[in-house]
Amino acid sequence: MGFGVSGATAIVFLGLFIAAGTMFTTTATTFEQVDEARDDRQEQLLDRRNTAIAVTSAVYNNTTSTLNLSVVNEGSTTLSVNGTTVLVDNEYDSTASARVDGTAATDLWEPGETMTLNVSTSEPARVKVVTEYGVAETSQVTVT
Amino acid sequence: MAEISVPTLILFIASIVIAAGVAGVLIDTVSGISNAVDDRGGDVSKSIKTDVEIISDPEAGVYDDANGTITLYVKNTGVRTLPADADAVDLFVDGQYQTATSLQVVDGTEWTPNGVVELTVSGVSLSPGDHRVKLVLDSDEEVFRFRTS
Repeated sequence: MGFGVSGATAIVFLGLFIAAGTMFTTTATTFEQVDEARDDRQEQLLDRRNTAIAVTSAVYNNTTSTLNLSVVNEGSTTLSVNGTTVLVDNEYDSTASARVDGTAATDLWEPGETMTLNVSTSEPARVKVVTEYGVAETSQVTVT
Repeated sequence: MAEISVPTLILFIASIVIAAGVAGVLIDTVSGISNAVDDRGGDVSKSIKTDVEIISDPEAGVYDDANGTITLYVKNTGVRTLPADADAVDLFVDGQYQTATSLQVVDGTEWTPNGVVELTVSGVSLSPGDHRVKLVLDSDEEVFRFRTS
């Protein structure tokens, strides 16, 4: 009888240990995963708050049918040229041909630098530039 | 001696069996809870990483009344790649669920962070005035308001 009780107790305790181990491992992994996601998100939100852009000129040349766009990075975050979206009259335009302070082969758009873009299009009315963090700036197009 | 040993043995076996049963059920239940916690954690981290913005310019004409279509550009401003599938996006125009939506990635093949998709809703007839589009993707909700003339 005495051995039976101790044997049973040992088995129940073993079960408890295994269960506690499983629970601990899963909970730790889950918390880590959620924590990591929250960290990523907060870093991105900080970057977003440090982001500001301004469309300095949006001029459409009637003779050459091109829209010349100049946008200044006024924030303190380095932005990505490929991550920036340009919408001309609610039409997506690729920023692949954009130049940053005259340099074409770069993806970095550092604070203070100006990104210029030439788009061949029919006469547009409005242009919208959106950064990778969702910070946007709209502008009317001047026709010359 | 034998009269004492047999009942003892029976009780011993019975207690071991019950203990094993209890331990088994415990482990099984806790495993179930662990799996649920794991799944929930995955969902929570996914929804934290998900963020989209409707980047269309409301002034530039998102509604085409000749064809009855609304064209919206949606940017992935989160930190995970989203499924580029119209079924993953729920869209409401003035509170009405839209089924005729199509989604197309405009700057690549996958809807990666920073990526933009073109979302087209067809078969919409909007009267001149104020309108509201609500987009739901995972747990992220975006509202876009525009005016038609």
